[in-house]
Amino acid sequence: MIEVKDVRKSYGDVAALGGISFTVREGEIFGFLGPNGAGKTTAISIISGLLLADSGTVRVADMDIRKDSRRIRKIQGVVPQEIALYEELTGRENLHFWGSLYGLVGGNLRGAADRVLELVGLSERANDPVRTYSGGMKRRINLCVGLMHRPRILLLDEPTLGIDPQARLNILDIIRGEVSGGTTVIYTTHYLEEAENLCDRIAIIDHGQILAEGTLQQLTQLVGEEDIVMVTGNFTDEQVRPLLSEVKVEHLEDGAFRALVPDSGAIGKLLGRFFSAGVHVGEVSIKEPSLESVFIKLTGRELRD
Amino acid sequence: MRQALLIVLKDLRRRLRNPIAVISMMLIPITITLIIGLVFGRSGEVELPRIRVLLIDKDDGIFSHFLRQSMQQEQFAEMIELVEVDGNEGRAAIERGEASALLEIPENFTDDLLDHKPVQLGLKKNPAEAFLPVIVQELVETTALMLDSGVRIFGGPIEQLRSMFEGEGWPSRDDAGGLLDSSRDNMILVGGYMADSLISLRNEVAEHEIEEEGAGVGLNIFAFVLPGSLLIGLLFISQIALRDIVREKEYGTLARLFTAPLEAGHVVAGKILSAFAITGLSCILLVLVGRFAFGISLGKPLPLVFHLVATVFMCTGVITLCYGFIRSDRAADAVLPVVILTMCLLGGSMIPYEQMGATLQDVGRFSPVFWAVDGLKMVFIERANLSDISLHLGILYGLGILTVVPGTALLRKRMRSGG
Repeated sequence: MIEVKDVRKSYGDVAALGGISFTVREGEIFGFLGPNGAGKTTAISIISGLLLADSGTVRVADMDIRKDSRRIRKIQGVVPQEIALYEELTGRENLHFWGSLYGLVGGNLRGAADRVLELVGLSERANDPVRTYSGGMKRRINLCVGLMHRPRILLLDEPTLGIDPQARLNILDIIRGEVSGGTTVIYTTHYLEEAENLCDRIAIIDHGQILAEGTLQQLTQLVGEEDIVMVTGNFTDEQVRPLLSEVKVEHLEDGAFRALVPDSGAIGKLLGRFFSAGVHVGEVSIKEPSLESVFIKLTGRELRD
Repeated sequence: MRQALLIVLKDLRRRLRNPIAVISMMLIPITITLIIGLVFGRSGEVELPRIRVLLIDKDDGIFSHFLRQSMQQEQFAEMIELVEVDGNEGRAAIERGEASALLEIPENFTDDLLDHKPVQLGLKKNPAEAFLPVIVQELVETTALMLDSGVRIFGGPIEQLRSMFEGEGWPSRDDAGGLLDSSRDNMILVGGYMADSLISLRNEVAEHEIEEEGAGVGLNIFAFVLPGSLLIGLLFISQIALRDIVREKEYGTLARLFTAPLEAGHVVAGKILSAFAITGLSCILLVLVGRFAFGISLGKPLPLVFHLVATVFMCTGVITLCYGFIRSDRAADAVLPVVILTMCLLGGSMIPYEQMGATLQDVGRFSPVFWAVDGLKMVFIERANLSDISLHLGILYGLGILTVVPGTALLRKRMRSGG
């Protein structure tokens, strides 16, 4: 459904996307997981036709985004990261305006607005001005705008940003419901659990590059069955290097190291050797094979960093 | 086009829900007009005082009598009190501020004119008065112009006439016949101009005044003040309406518009049409306030409508062009008030154009505001016809096109490249 090949985009000297390629199949939820500034929004802006890539090709439903941008935009629904609504208008008026831009009129327009309002549980507040809504309610109306015309493709750029966990779960449920109708979704997030729970396939993106792509299972295989142990303390790399002979060291510097260990017993032995040698240990964290451990393995840091 | 109209309807609805900014801008012209009106009188209806003019006539010839008579014919006589004084007495009186102006006709004024020598009338104005001396100046200049034209056109016959008077007294029948014969061609030449007599023009105006106002001769000061203050308000309202272009960019709704199936042209057209509609509606409301709250006669309907549309079009165009260069709310805050107030100041919105110095007046004619204000005054006060304000309309519509077209092109280009 969506085919992206070697897309590059720079802002001045800063490369936002350094040649990314991926495909999204019809009816699939494809996740972009990465920290802020990784290039997720730039990627989604290019696919939505909002930005032009410096090079590379984007094909959506067998159409080229450069040549058929308007036709592509007709079949897409976009939910931007910021709440892009008219605060003076009511929720329903906002939906009517955006829906009418996609060609909905009369009964179809009213029906579509009623449907999405029901979907997000805002029917009762639909006639209140958006400025009186809470953050979570605004997020839900923001999502509704993208769903009004039943798009074949839904591009969601961090749609749960800044809302409470319950509202987030509600939004994820709505998206699952839409996908069951055959909609193809690209979903960007920096929440690991969202990517794990929602997406069929995930691309891990950082510094404008896709570092890995696949299903959750395929990605976790990258770290195998081993746990990742991260230790910080008051030590030098020369001091601890001899103590790490039985583990796979991924990173070592003064005061910190990261290593792969086969099980929790190996972790106990490792720490025992540290204590025996009088090495000061400050903090120890262990990550089981998960998307987070994959992210750490690929980027060398936790996502929240 | 449907997409652009959807944007217009949406913006109008938003403005209706949050009208504070536009209302506060509408209060500018209402407040200015009200304050100035109250300064001049509670009703705004100002009965002009009789203008006292002192006259020193050192010539006492035909042409000095012509000047004197022209200022004492029936309607001017109602307006002007002409007091003949001798030199010292007159100069002392004007210094004491006892008259609006002192007119001094030099010696040999008539002879010099008949000899085609340049002559200079002296007019000393009372600095303590703002408007009355200017009226005297206009009157004297107009009379002098008529006299000058008469001397130039009928120079030959008058010269002949003078020699007849200076010779044997009254000319013979043959001489008088020859004189008329030689004047005939000149009279035919200027006949068309002479046919448009001032008397018939004044009569026409006077009748309408009675019909419309139902009152005697007087000047509604509000009609004089409102056009200028209206322009200040309309320009600020236009800039508020068009500011949505930069605001929507900051709110993220502009980017979202471009994810929908519409083109940059739709968005720009929608925004300009919205601004035109909002400015136009405000203009109608302000003019109605002028009519019903300030009692301003709005003049003839057709010139009024054409001129208001031209004014709103010009305001929207000028501000559109400004937003072609302005990219942020802060830049708009910094630049637009300066641009608007400068145009208004030069165009006669704040200080009456007639009160400006000659240089400022020359510069002021380059301000679009001048043509809007001047035209509106003509419509309100002089009940101008379409033909009377055709130059104003041409300039305003022309300026509208010359600013809207490049402004639209700049905005479209900017939006295509991501806003």
